[in-house]
Amino acid sequence: MTIDEIRNVILEIIQDIDDEADFTDLKPDEALRDQLDLDSMDFLDIVMELRKRYQIQIPEADYPHLATLDSCVSYLMPRLEAA
Amino acid sequence: MAAAIRFARFGQKVLILEKHSKIGGLNSYYYRKGKLFETGLHAVSNFAPPADKHAPLNRLLRQLKIPRRNFVLHEQYSSEILFPDRASLCFSNDFTLLQEQLATRFPDSAKPFAEMVSKLDQYDPFIPRPKISARQFVSSFLQDKLLVEMLFCPLMFYGASQEDDMDLSQFVILFRAIFQEGFFRPEGTIKDLLDLLLDHYRSFGGEIELTAGVTEILTENSKVSGVRTASGEVILCESLISTAGVPETKKLFPSPDTAATFSQSDVNQISGRLSFIESIYLLDKSACGNLPKDRTIIFFNLSEKFSYHRPAEAVDLGSGVICFPGNFQGNKEDDTIQLRVTHLANYDKWRHAFNDDDKTLYPAMKTHWVEKSKKVIGKIIGNYSENIVYEDSFTPVTVERYTSRTQGAVYGSPEKIKDGKTNFENLYIAGTDQGYLGIVGSMLSGVTMVNQHILNKI
Repeated sequence: MTIDEIRNVILEIIQDIDDEADFTDLKPDEALRDQLDLDSMDFLDIVMELRKRYQIQIPEADYPHLATLDSCVSYLMPRLEAA
Repeated sequence: MAAAIRFARFGQKVLILEKHSKIGGLNSYYYRKGKLFETGLHAVSNFAPPADKHAPLNRLLRQLKIPRRNFVLHEQYSSEILFPDRASLCFSNDFTLLQEQLATRFPDSAKPFAEMVSKLDQYDPFIPRPKISARQFVSSFLQDKLLVEMLFCPLMFYGASQEDDMDLSQFVILFRAIFQEGFFRPEGTIKDLLDLLLDHYRSFGGEIELTAGVTEILTENSKVSGVRTASGEVILCESLISTAGVPETKKLFPSPDTAATFSQSDVNQISGRLSFIESIYLLDKSACGNLPKDRTIIFFNLSEKFSYHRPAEAVDLGSGVICFPGNFQGNKEDDTIQLRVTHLANYDKWRHAFNDDDKTLYPAMKTHWVEKSKKVIGKIIGNYSENIVYEDSFTPVTVERYTSRTQGAVYGSPEKIKDGKTNFENLYIAGTDQGYLGIVGSMLSGVTMVNQHILNKI
């Protein structure tokens, strides 16, 4: 998958979780949770949805890798290719 | 339901085994004379406007993937804490009403109350800690004993499983849910809400069997391997969540050894002691012009001290809850007014009467206490006994019969299992006995237990 495709997947999943999520001015290198006002339960849903759609398992220890949009892409790129 | 939806949402295989013919547990419904009556619902707490994303209600809806716009709410008008001839405090979904009422009626307590609220706002009730007496905490701020009693009255009636006092964590949860957030009704009836949950659950592929009570929990060493149901069917599972209650779950272990592994305590010792008698009335609207129209719930106490414990007599008429299920904003008008009256009741007395060889004893006892209740309540809201179109009452025995809660304990066991874990590594407790209270609370319990214990393992 390309960088853009992965980005869109993540944004689409977030939209699905919170249909009022506003992506205008979203900074890809800053924390998603702060910018979008997501809490830990919402965050778990992102992880679970990725698992459901792509059968990738993300251990809790790796959650910090999903902090920003950019870091999500870097983390998921090799894993989505392998899936 | 919430736990199962949470699990099914992510494509996992889940089966609900419901003992009764209807879902809902302590919050279900029944029909009489073609009308639907709700068994538990008076008001749902934790009201929050849609914009408040972090409020428990909205978090819950997101977790279940139920869009807030599909969940229409009718807010309460206002509710009242009434100690007749002594004081009255109203509260609504606007916390400033309670603050203003308190400042007027208890002017010396206004400042200490604000200090206490500030401390409560900073308190995280979900951090595991040793128990702290809520009464002591509140009394350390508020010197006025009457005010302390009045603040505890609705919180205890709303969901306290322990007699006389409560853990500070529970107090914080209830204080926020009732005073700071507030009451609402979902549009329609509890049946509509339950049907919504059921349809939603099935849309994720979830399975459910009704009238399929679990009769045995099957184990292998320290793990649950499955269950046996009333029909004799054995169903294997990787994980099991029980929302039946702690003592009720203990009863499902077939051997004394496995039951003791689950819990050393005797079932009757861990059962809740608090149960109620409740009467539902439909009143002829045209005759009831004097009934309060802007009061949703009245929590009252006539005794010197508000006592929240199992009464010595069959019913404690010295206090109670008066609820008008129609008095919510936006509710459709009907030709009758519904009234619900609740009093603390002594399970043992009612059980003895029910079990007596003389089968007229129990119904006579019901009639006796309900008639006395009508007089007490009539003095508070005006006489309505001439205008009753329909009435029905249930006792602790009724509660036990339909919900299987031991001793009719409507708020479950006072010993909550905060982390939901048991001595069996794949058996978890969720719902009222895990510690969250009310409809929103117990649903959040289901969600949280699945999040913490099961989703992270798949």
